[in-house]
Amino acid sequence: MTTVRRESRETAADAVSRGPSGRGPGRGGNRHRAEKPGASRRHRGQWSAWAFLAPVTVYLIAFYAWPLYRNIELSLREYTVRSFVQGGAPFAGLDNYREVIGHDTFWPAFGHTLLFTGVSIVFQFTIGMALAVFFVHHFPLSATLRALFLVPWLLPLIVSASTWSWMLNSESGIVNAALGLAGVDPVNWLTSPDYALWSVIIANIWIGIPFNLVVLYSGLQAIPAQIYEAAALDGVNGWQRFWRITFPLLRPVSAITLLLGLVYTLKVFDLIWIMTKGGPADASITLATWSYKLGFGNLLPEFGPGAAVGNLLIVIALIFGLIYIRIQRRQAAGS
Amino acid sequence: MRRFLRTGAGLILTAIMLFPVYWMVNVSLTRDTDMRADPPHLFPVNGTLEGYRAVLDQQLPYLSTSLVVGLGTVLLTVALSAPAGFALAKLRPRGGGALSFILLMAQMIPGIIMAMGFYAIYLNAGVLNTVPGLILADSTIAVPFGVLIFTAFMSGIPDELLQAAVVDGANRWRTFVSVVLPVSRNAIVTVSLFAFLWAWSDFVFATTLDGGGDHRPITLGIYQYIGNNNQQWNAIMATAVVASIPATALLVIAQRYVAAGVTSGAVKD
Amino acid sequence: MKAYTAALLAITMAAGLTACGDNGGGDAASGSYTIWDPYPQFDDSSAWVTLLKKCGTDNGVTVERTGYDTTDLTNKALLAAQQGNSPDVLIVDNPVVSTLAEAGVLTDTGVTSLDTASIAPNILAAGQIEGKTFGVPIGANTLALYYNKAVLADAGVDPATITDWAGLTAALEKVKAKGRKGITFSAIGTEEGSFQFLPWYWGSGAQLTQLDSPQAVASLQLWADWVTKGLAPNSVLNNTQTTSWQEFATGDFAFGENGTWQLENAKKTGFEVGIIPIPSQAGGVAPAPTGGEFVSVPVQSDSARYDVSGKLVSCLTSNDNLLATDTTLSYIAPVAAVQQQQVAQNAALTVWVDAVNAAKGRTSDNLGTKYPKISEPLWTAFQASLSGSKPPQEALAAAQQTAASATK
Repeated sequence: MTTVRRESRETAADAVSRGPSGRGPGRGGNRHRAEKPGASRRHRGQWSAWAFLAPVTVYLIAFYAWPLYRNIELSLREYTVRSFVQGGAPFAGLDNYREVIGHDTFWPAFGHTLLFTGVSIVFQFTIGMALAVFFVHHFPLSATLRALFLVPWLLPLIVSASTWSWMLNSESGIVNAALGLAGVDPVNWLTSPDYALWSVIIANIWIGIPFNLVVLYSGLQAIPAQIYEAAALDGVNGWQRFWRITFPLLRPVSAITLLLGLVYTLKVFDLIWIMTKGGPADASITLATWSYKLGFGNLLPEFGPGAAVGNLLIVIALIFGLIYIRIQRRQAAGS
Repeated sequence: MRRFLRTGAGLILTAIMLFPVYWMVNVSLTRDTDMRADPPHLFPVNGTLEGYRAVLDQQLPYLSTSLVVGLGTVLLTVALSAPAGFALAKLRPRGGGALSFILLMAQMIPGIIMAMGFYAIYLNAGVLNTVPGLILADSTIAVPFGVLIFTAFMSGIPDELLQAAVVDGANRWRTFVSVVLPVSRNAIVTVSLFAFLWAWSDFVFATTLDGGGDHRPITLGIYQYIGNNNQQWNAIMATAVVASIPATALLVIAQRYVAAGVTSGAVKD
Repeated sequence: MKAYTAALLAITMAAGLTACGDNGGGDAASGSYTIWDPYPQFDDSSAWVTLLKKCGTDNGVTVERTGYDTTDLTNKALLAAQQGNSPDVLIVDNPVVSTLAEAGVLTDTGVTSLDTASIAPNILAAGQIEGKTFGVPIGANTLALYYNKAVLADAGVDPATITDWAGLTAALEKVKAKGRKGITFSAIGTEEGSFQFLPWYWGSGAQLTQLDSPQAVASLQLWADWVTKGLAPNSVLNNTQTTSWQEFATGDFAFGENGTWQLENAKKTGFEVGIIPIPSQAGGVAPAPTGGEFVSVPVQSDSARYDVSGKLVSCLTSNDNLLATDTTLSYIAPVAAVQQQQVAQNAALTVWVDAVNAAKGRTSDNLGTKYPKISEPLWTAFQASLSGSKPPQEALAAAQQTAASATK
């Protein structure tokens, strides 16, 4: 029950919680506070802390544990439509996992998932950051324009995805019409195996920019103006200011943004489903899309393999989550 | 002068970003026969208001359902995640770290799997196709995010402020209600905004859990125009346009508060 | 905070209260019967819902109707059955019937004593497995070729002379030579694409049990050649039947492969539209797949409910009601007598009645639940071939391998 033990137990929440507030003084403050109180006080603290957490814990168990359990159970049994309804599906161990990993679609889907997620996040984040830095200076209409940047978010995905597939249509899409004016041959954005994946990535980047903009912008707001003023006195120019001051101070917020971006992007399926159905011939299929296709995209659902692919995705996210914590801890130890 | 240059650049950037939205508006005004014209019409020449007529006749009840669901989700999300954020940030219980890691990972469960799990529960509980049922489901999108943001934000509140309240004889609950919540206004607004947006644009939960019945949200109202074999695209896009107007208004208003940020503003130190 | 707690309480309580209310199937004593249909476009004031309510009142019960999106309905029905909470009457797309029957979700007509004697056998076949019938068709639709009269006249093509593939391709080339576009269809990678490919596939004489037969390769070669020669646009790969229709409606295309349901829209295009049946390779009309829904009675724990459920189905599929429903849905009735009435009302339907009578269920030939496992490799194959990643022969050989291992 000593503070030493507490420090060693520090995990994600602490890392995360320190995140955005992790400007120098705040962080140190937290540490010191943790060391002050006596043992009995801490004990009482535990109870009341869990009292505050109780609603969320109950909620978590009630609403996440059951679907997750169902998904694992689905993936470990050999379900047919009949046994799905009537029960009695035989236990199949890891057969479903073996089946999906051995499937022709697995490695393409895996590679596309990494590419889709990686490229989407890099561009969403970079563009979001650039826009956040741009909007942090006040100018006429800045608040309104910033709000307008969030409009894409308000659109139901079926609408934004359909609009994109409209614009990228080979025959009558505006993008090809514009390329035609510039003298470029039309591109079969959605129907060529070479471009389909890039098309959905472009649409996904567009959809993800508002989220990155809002969170990063809020992070920028937290950087005290005095720091910039001091830097200005030292004769630091704009570019240096970004790399030496803004970026390091924004690191905790950036980490959260990237992690959330990762979690949200890994599981994108509806956008791809609406735009290309993962096609042509699996050219734009990702693990999430494949999972949906197996479970729901056919007249005859294959629940077992579908759930297995879904669980593999969760494992991938888990790995990234652990890497994140690792990095956070090392940084905390280093600073 | 520099400021106006920025406004100019901002206008151009916004125009690029919103081009797909413009395209949606354009389609909403286009006649069925011109939808696939090659080359496409940049402006809705021979436009039609047919889509909007259909929407105004049929979609208004869906809009109000969406509004109720959105606001309900906001209340539920804040009520659940603010105390949790406070506990994780300031009371730091053992196991809290694991809890928030689980919260983060919980979001990885594909929405459709969540929805299927909910479906079985809801069907037996009889809350299928009800507004409270949908609110509960929609909140699962926002609660983990809310906890994360509140935790991050509240750990920035100086301990001295809390200790002062304790010295005045307040217990933890009173401290939370009368000290922590008021200074966390911006975090509340941010979480509310996100919760609202997610609930507003949710489709997977809506279609699985609220696909029939009288109280359907606007994302499903769109489905009226997606028949078995046919889709009325101008009406679909018109619905989207109409649906985004109230939400955009809300956004522009809320932006003033979000501007102060996820992480700052509450405590000027 | 009080306000939040109160709101939270209110929500939980509301959830609790409704939990005590009536749910799903209900019990026989309540006199309330649930019906699920895939027509969300019809609201409570529509003729369809009025008909449902009336069938209920006629049989002394009230009807609780819910319209779902058709793509969701299969999973909803499976999940509801798993929870023992199926609706009393379920209206589903015909290729789904065999899947639901296989899952044990549906009763056969012997249990509900429904009479299907007057139904056209080729339409009913989609709902039959091993001699048992699992529902009654409410209407049927199928595919044919819509053509733009002006474009064909301009190219000097007489549509009446198009009776085989060679004639059709020749016509497309003439149209293209005049600077217009040939044909549009939907080759999307879903069941919708398979639905559109089947008339050509079957029209070559190919069977679904042998995806890489020479006939099958010939049919895919036909589509692939059209795309490579520019007789069909590249966008067919991503076209749904709706987007394909929109392309046809621009007036640039000579032909559009589409369904019965577009008949009303054909009047709105602003140009004159004609219809010919889809030709087979050797000449004559190719069998097209049937579309349309079946009315079925899901299994209930309380078998006393079947009596009224059966009466509801009989009411919905009685000749008078079929005429009204199929007119609203732009479907062809599955009963010869009603088809005659439809033609009498609207002579333009003659082509469609003939097409429906020549059509064939996808799950027929006792394929049942094997069909979905064949259809998916099939659409994967034409997607691969049309996008240029694999030649037809290779694509279909791969498809046959997948289908064979999935259906063995």
